[in-house]
Amino acid sequence: MFKIKKSLTQRIVFYVLTLCILIFLTTLSLFYLSSKKQLEQVTYKNTAYITENTALKIEAILTPIMKIAKNYQWMMIQMKDKPDSIAALTQKVVASNPEIMGSAVAFIPDYYASKGKYFAPYSYRKGDSIITKQLGNENYEYFYMDWFQIPTSINKPYWSEPYYDTGGANALMTTFSIPITIDSAGVSKTIAVLTVDLALDWFTEIVSAVKVLETGYASVISKAGTFVTHPNKELIMNQTIFSYAKENDNEELRIIGRAMQTQKNGFANSTLNGVHRIIYYTTLPSSNWSLAVVFPKSEIYLPLRKITIILIVLIVIALTLLTIIITKVISKQLIPLTAFSKTARQIAKGDFQTPIPQIKTEDEMLELHDAFHFMQDNLLHYIETLKDTTTAKEKIESELRIAREIQMGMIPKTFPPFPTRKELDQYASLIPAKEVGGDLYDYFIDDDKLYFIIGDVSGKGIPASLLMAVTRSLFRSVTLHFDSPAEILTNLNNSLAENNDSNMFVTLFIGILDLNTGHLQFCNAGHNPPIVIREQASFLEVIPNLPLGLIDGFQYQQQEKKIHNGTTLVLYTDGLTEAENDSKKLYGEERLLELTSTNEHLNTQQLVETILEDVHAHVQTAEQSDDLTLLAIKYNGPTRKYEKSVSLINEIEQIYILQQFIEEVGEDLDFDASLVMKLNLALEEAVSNVILYAYPKVSGKKIIVSAAYKGNDLIFTVTDTGVPFDPTLTEHPNLDLDAEERPIGGLGIFLIKQIMNEVTYSRIHDVNVFTMKKKIDPKNE
Amino acid sequence: MEITIDNIAEQTIINIKGRIDTATSPEFEKAIAPVIAGDMKDVIMECKDFEYISSTGLRLFLVLQKSANAKKGSLLIRNMNDDIKNVFNMTGFTALFKFE
Repeated sequence: MFKIKKSLTQRIVFYVLTLCILIFLTTLSLFYLSSKKQLEQVTYKNTAYITENTALKIEAILTPIMKIAKNYQWMMIQMKDKPDSIAALTQKVVASNPEIMGSAVAFIPDYYASKGKYFAPYSYRKGDSIITKQLGNENYEYFYMDWFQIPTSINKPYWSEPYYDTGGANALMTTFSIPITIDSAGVSKTIAVLTVDLALDWFTEIVSAVKVLETGYASVISKAGTFVTHPNKELIMNQTIFSYAKENDNEELRIIGRAMQTQKNGFANSTLNGVHRIIYYTTLPSSNWSLAVVFPKSEIYLPLRKITIILIVLIVIALTLLTIIITKVISKQLIPLTAFSKTARQIAKGDFQTPIPQIKTEDEMLELHDAFHFMQDNLLHYIETLKDTTTAKEKIESELRIAREIQMGMIPKTFPPFPTRKELDQYASLIPAKEVGGDLYDYFIDDDKLYFIIGDVSGKGIPASLLMAVTRSLFRSVTLHFDSPAEILTNLNNSLAENNDSNMFVTLFIGILDLNTGHLQFCNAGHNPPIVIREQASFLEVIPNLPLGLIDGFQYQQQEKKIHNGTTLVLYTDGLTEAENDSKKLYGEERLLELTSTNEHLNTQQLVETILEDVHAHVQTAEQSDDLTLLAIKYNGPTRKYEKSVSLINEIEQIYILQQFIEEVGEDLDFDASLVMKLNLALEEAVSNVILYAYPKVSGKKIIVSAAYKGNDLIFTVTDTGVPFDPTLTEHPNLDLDAEERPIGGLGIFLIKQIMNEVTYSRIHDVNVFTMKKKIDPKNE
Repeated sequence: MEITIDNIAEQTIINIKGRIDTATSPEFEKAIAPVIAGDMKDVIMECKDFEYISSTGLRLFLVLQKSANAKKGSLLIRNMNDDIKNVFNMTGFTALFKFE
């Protein structure tokens, strides 16, 4: 029970947990997916904002400088005719604007006739002081420089590409050049270029202060694509975005570079240094440089991952708590079940009064409690009823058992039944299908005759057993008055047919065997024909007549047969031949005949047991359907004392009377012809000896020959009153001699001794008594 | 007992029918006397219907054999049944005769 309870809890926990996990997983996935999108949008927006903001910051520095330059441009135009005060102007520009590293006003060649070809006053910071000098000589023809050429030709202010000012500030610089143009006779003409130099260190500071997500950074490229700021310092001034793209074989980056040059702003994707990154760029309007913010795409989701991990940890904790709580709650709920199981065991053991666990809750457990209560009450009631019926049944059964004992007492069951009767070997078996049965057999010996019956009453059980008892008693009483099978059965039939309202009948076979002669008289009343085994087994040919008890006054016909020594009769009821196996196949007469044929050498007990074993092997587990009875009788031949004698006179022809006498003895004792001939020879030798020599010259003298059979000994005695002569004293002939040497005669007594086992002679009161004993081999009977 | 003697070419066939016992032996002796007196060159005892022999009969068989031996003739016993042969056996006669 504990095991089941445990597994029930486990199952519930398993189902609840599985459901919770599914719900959590679904919710988490939805949350993750929607958050991811939102986060992407926010990050993109934020990045754009940061970038634009940074661009504005940069513009906020660049725009005033452009404004300053424009103010000075106007002042320069006013002062164009006072070349010597221009240096003071440049000095003032530098001095009054700390972010400006240097400023120059470079005039076109030969603008002032007095100043020669090159005139370009230049002031720059060196430490805390401001130095002013003239630019331009044969080696430095400034008017060919980009910062002069480009604004002059396009007639627009121009931000130079960043450069390292090695001569002056020794820092990363850019120069803002603005053309100074005057109108002369309606034609505008550029006369000089005003420059302000701007150190880019602040610029780098602003840009590198930009941090997006974890590792996101900002970078600025110039109009030509040169890296102006980049976390990787090696790139600054050394590479353009295009050369970098080419070096890394990154076509995407090249396209992004083009877009940065041409578009105002926008997002782009590219894989940089093996990491997928998002790039947002925007143009710095004043310089047409481009500011880009770059960050790994994966970092967008970092916060989401953190939250997810926290959520998972929380869920795991929650589920663990849930498991513990469910287990505890369910276990507690199932505690009564353990008690119920104990109660059920107690009840199963027979303790119907065992207390049922009390349930306080009004739930299924209470229902179970009620059911147990109901079961207990019903069981008690049922057991009481069962006790009563069992007692009644036991009473009937015990009566049936007694009836069976009485019935079995009626059938002879001691084997051998007639131990002193060597003529007989008998064995029988009766197996009723129910406690009592309707089969019967019986036998007794009266006046050297064996009376035997085997019978089968129609039906089974108690009614059959009663009729069986009646039949058996009638057999015993009828045989007191009648001694022929037909008379016995006719009388039995009449008695049974009288008042036979239930129309029951008995099939029966009766035999009367003369134990001295083997003469069998028999009569059959509708019973199975017995088997006769003598070397071969065959059915005894019987007139069926009618079963007993059917028709009053029926005359039964009897038959007779000579039963030879060593013959076995096997009588049986149809319970044997009709024994069924599970597939309803009958044992059958053929099988019985075959089995008995091959077992003719067995004694009756072995034979009966062999047949029963074979029937059992056939039937196997099928229920016995009918009473089964077997009776086997083996006739061994007569063993009682046999005596016969003949009186002869001393004439040689009397040997034929002797021959006839010996033949009669042989027939009486069932000897074979060969033995009879040998006996005849021995007796003839003995008697002819007496005839020829005992009474010389006297005739009509008596010679008595008698035969007696006792046990296995056949004893012949020859007595005469002639001259004394002991034939046993005669010398034996030498059997090894040749024909010539053999004497003629002397063979008679030798032959007698050869044939007989024992030969004795005695002379008693003038009487010669010559006795010859022959042991008879039982097989030779 | 019935004895017939057939002379076919050189052969003398003695047919024995029935019993040669103490009572019939003298008759048998008389019947075979001419054979014993003859040359006994090729004598056959036909025993197909021979039923019984006593010691007196055996004696006469021995006389026949001795005569045959003395005259360097031959005596052959034919078709003798087992029971009679058994009697011959008991007396050691089997070795003295030729059987077929």
